[in-house]
Amino acid sequence: MDFSLFLQNFLNGLSIGSVYAIFALGYTLVFSILGIINFAHGAIFTLGAYFTYALAGGKFGFNGILANAQLPFQLPFVMALLLSSVLSGLVTVLLERLAFKPLRARNADPLLTLVSSLGAALVIVNLIQYLVGAEIYTFPANIYGNLPEAINFGTATKPINIRTVQIIVFGVSVIIVTCLTYLINYTKVGKALQAIAEDTTTASLLGINSERLIMITFFISGFLAGISGTLVSSSVSIAGPYFGISFGLKGLAVIVLGGLGNIPGAIGGGLLIGLAEAFVPSDYSGYKDAISFGLLFIMLLVRPQGLFGKKLIQKV
Amino acid sequence: MTKHQITPILQLNNITKKFGGLLAVDAVSFTVVQNEIFGLIGPNGAGKTTIFNMLSGLITPDLGQINYLGQDLTKLQSYQIAQRGIARTFQNLRLLGNLSALENVLVPCNVHHKTDFLADFLGLPKAQLAQKKTYSKAKELLDLVGLSDNIKQQANNFSYGDQRRLEIARALALEPKLLLLDEPAAGMNTSEKASLSDLIRQIRDQFNLTIILIEHHIPLVMSLCERIAVLDFGKLISLGEPEQVKNDPLVIEAYLGNE
Repeated sequence: MDFSLFLQNFLNGLSIGSVYAIFALGYTLVFSILGIINFAHGAIFTLGAYFTYALAGGKFGFNGILANAQLPFQLPFVMALLLSSVLSGLVTVLLERLAFKPLRARNADPLLTLVSSLGAALVIVNLIQYLVGAEIYTFPANIYGNLPEAINFGTATKPINIRTVQIIVFGVSVIIVTCLTYLINYTKVGKALQAIAEDTTTASLLGINSERLIMITFFISGFLAGISGTLVSSSVSIAGPYFGISFGLKGLAVIVLGGLGNIPGAIGGGLLIGLAEAFVPSDYSGYKDAISFGLLFIMLLVRPQGLFGKKLIQKV
Repeated sequence: MTKHQITPILQLNNITKKFGGLLAVDAVSFTVVQNEIFGLIGPNGAGKTTIFNMLSGLITPDLGQINYLGQDLTKLQSYQIAQRGIARTFQNLRLLGNLSALENVLVPCNVHHKTDFLADFLGLPKAQLAQKKTYSKAKELLDLVGLSDNIKQQANNFSYGDQRRLEIARALALEPKLLLLDEPAAGMNTSEKASLSDLIRQIRDQFNLTIILIEHHIPLVMSLCERIAVLDFGKLISLGEPEQVKNDPLVIEAYLGNE
């Protein structure tokens, strides 16, 4: 493989890997606070993509009860992206109220919330299908304004073409990861979240309103899912209501690979899987998922606590 | 108690808690007055920690009211009780073990610094100033309990006695009016116990606290507490000054058994 091709694959890998990372951070935040996996995370990812499509003035097809529906206004893409992510965050808060909180209030086994969140995921996905059908929707080509389709980072003779979308995706992801890392490590809310992650009861005895912070966590998690859903679908397309579910599984692979509940782990795991997939030759692109789950398999054999996870030491 | 004004800070009225068929706390009533060091003693399983759990809002009594400065605590959530100035330590330490000693103290400090989220996130000058103040306050409290070294180390790595003192510093960071200490001397040696006694008196005077103390080490309780309540099988069997309680036949029977 010559160097320019290598570089091109590398940059593409970073771009998709960074979306994996912000998506997986949504899982990680909820997991580190409550010790549970929100299986509806992938469904919110899908929802975010549809929200943005609608807000950016996209028109829905002929299936579903909203056939040919279109919002009376059309927002610029950046506005649509932000608003859609906020909406995704709010839906996730609602989901927390309906699918998580009642179980938590009854001290139910954390395993049961897996089932309730999986149920919520199916409800969301089917609702989307019911409303707007199962077609593939593609964002208009000009959503990013008049930017060129691709930018050449090489020379005219040795081109390294990176799609503009990929660069934007990477940029947005870097901003998000930076903000979130700062939020967790250097703000009061972050300190309170760390305290809850350690021990919810003790945190409440230190004057922390844990229910409120759990809500904030779910909001951020949903916001991240919405943003990553939009970013992925703007670089490819919305491949039907179910496309978030398989992405959701990929996200699970990322957090297990990086170490459950570990923020650097989610970032590292995301980048690693993104890069690994980018180097799959295009003739074998059908095997991309096999590569990421193969990586996961090897990791579980070699280092079950994940890339950045701490070794669990059994205290006697 | 002559130097203290006699105003009640906490009144338990007919507090009852059942766990299944077990009456853990049975119609207990007592009043704690401002600035006193109040001892809560009794054999294992007498219901002492259950009372602390009800005072801090972790469990709700089945019957009765807890009046704290004019409010009924039984209707409040534990974080609200903490914000109103009741702090506690635990019999089996509950530190945030993976956070540093300093961070353990910072978390409750933050409750009293109401900077808004955006100012905090953007690191605006007023938020930075508030943060500086919290830091120096946290460090002062750690100094006070004798932990000035290694405060950036994980709390888990501290020795047992140091962890107990760290819990006290953390409780003080809430700026409490009422401090509940659950077996603060457990696992300490004689000299550590003596300095703990001094520390408890010192913080009571310095921060104008009222302290309720659960403790098994009777000499410590007798020398430190101004009044003592004795529980046995969930019932309050004796209440009064140390001398009075020590000679109460019911107390002697509870501790030594009836022969």
